[in-house]
Amino acid sequence: MCARMLPVILASLLAVGCASTGSPTQAGRDALLLSYRAASEHMRRLEFAQAKPLLDDAVTTLGGISAGDNAARKARGLFRAESTKNFRGEPYERVMAFYYRGILYWMDGEPDNARACFRSAQLQDADAEQGSYQADYALLDYLDGFVTTKLGGGASDALARARSNARLGQLPEFDSQANVLIFFEMGQGPTKYAAGQYGERLQFRPGTSRSRSLQLKVAGQVVQAGPSDDLSFQATTRGGRQMDFVLANKAVFKGSTDSFGDAAILSGAILAGSSGRRSAADEIGAGLLVAGLLGKVISAATTPNADTRMWDNLPNLLGFTALRVPPGEQRISAEFLDASGRVVLSREVTITVIPGTRDTVLFLSDRL
Amino acid sequence: MYRPVTRPIAAVTVVVVAVLATGCASHGVRNPSGNGVTVLKADEQGFVAGTGVESQDIVSVTDKMARGILETPQIQRAQGQPRVVLLPIENNTRFAINKDILLTRVRARLNSQTRGKVVFLARERMAALEKEQQLKQSGQVTSASDPNVVEFQGADFFLTGRLDGSTTKSPRGVSDYVLYTFQLIDVRSSAIVWEDMAEIKKQGLDDAAYR
Repeated sequence: MCARMLPVILASLLAVGCASTGSPTQAGRDALLLSYRAASEHMRRLEFAQAKPLLDDAVTTLGGISAGDNAARKARGLFRAESTKNFRGEPYERVMAFYYRGILYWMDGEPDNARACFRSAQLQDADAEQGSYQADYALLDYLDGFVTTKLGGGASDALARARSNARLGQLPEFDSQANVLIFFEMGQGPTKYAAGQYGERLQFRPGTSRSRSLQLKVAGQVVQAGPSDDLSFQATTRGGRQMDFVLANKAVFKGSTDSFGDAAILSGAILAGSSGRRSAADEIGAGLLVAGLLGKVISAATTPNADTRMWDNLPNLLGFTALRVPPGEQRISAEFLDASGRVVLSREVTITVIPGTRDTVLFLSDRL
Repeated sequence: MYRPVTRPIAAVTVVVVAVLATGCASHGVRNPSGNGVTVLKADEQGFVAGTGVESQDIVSVTDKMARGILETPQIQRAQGQPRVVLLPIENNTRFAINKDILLTRVRARLNSQTRGKVVFLARERMAALEKEQQLKQSGQVTSASDPNVVEFQGADFFLTGRLDGSTTKSPRGVSDYVLYTFQLIDVRSSAIVWEDMAEIKKQGLDDAAYR
């Protein structure tokens, strides 16, 4: 009797195990994702005070070590999807949280804390599978060096690193006298999708950008600046993740238990139908049928799907330029241009350039 | 009569349970649960890598610096009360921090322990102090002394510091070393009359779900 009940008990345990344990809600697991998206929106609307606490939460979370995170542990289990872990994002998304926070620190007159954020951002990309793609954001090294130069330090090594990673154009020498710093972003960033038989492989679709450069007119100067980094490139050159091994193993398990289920059900049906009732073959056939069904149930409960939650309002291209502008109120005309030089979007910004050592920092996006 | 029927079912069930038990999806991933953060002595060989500036670092570093300043001969043997101005710390690490917290704690520690042996000047409040003086000079508020006499004190020493960092990241984790240096600078001579340092190294490894 006990043996007959065993499969039932096992199936019940599996079913109960999936639904219980009082795990956090999906909204809780997506909290960081929601912060990311809201921060992007606030940045584009120039609502920096609202973006700051969201990004502070983000970088504080990202700065902590996730070892011992129960949601992460469960997400590695066979019967929990990867998306049940607390969202932190892929490296290119984490980079952007630090990058945005760095811009805000610089705006607040704390360039050294801005540099700290740019360094932490670069570190998020330091474990790409292939060495040539590790920590290869040209802009982050450039900004690191730019801050160091402004603070009176030597930054030739940072400039050399930035230039060696620059794929979208040459980076100029640092200008320690520049007092207006313009961060700009263009286009729609990469998106995620799940590939593979069971959706176990995380893949990225490159983003797009109609804008290819930014033209600025201020205080008699006309300056054209191009992007320094491409988020789509960064997302698609990361290589495999450790979690991909976990998901691949889940997929193998799902496939194996499904195949086992098919084979057991088929063999069981043949055996059970080939002899008389209550014969040994009939009994073995019945056992195989039960095991096969159990295998199918287990296979169906296995979730190898990759986590495709994403920071879906990121830009595709990132750029920076620094200008020398006389103190006082200044009107800046900013035009985002496409590849053939046509204006995609124009914006007028009035800034007050403060005399002295504090920089005036602008953030411009071609998405309003 | 029915006993033989249970054996195949039981056997098959045991096999399925065994498959479940051994079918760990994390197979092949090194240390999938990751390692917790451990605070290490700077000269201690760590097993992986670490994180940033935390409260225990601030407490230990500023306690050490406050003790060091008090033992400085220029402070111990000073005639009268040496006046000290805090200059902002430069953060040269990868961790964005509230830099004021370090000097604020040193100042508070010294003020609470020395009971006036060292005087700190509130230069960061100069704008408010000047405004108050202007109000006194214009007669809008009362003054206990002649408001036209400048009584803002000059500094004998500047206390400042710097944080430098070095980071390593590998598949085994992330390692952060932070060097804290503080200096007391004689304003008249520009001599660094005291300098001390503290260093902290931490290591950690994220859960495989985030790697």
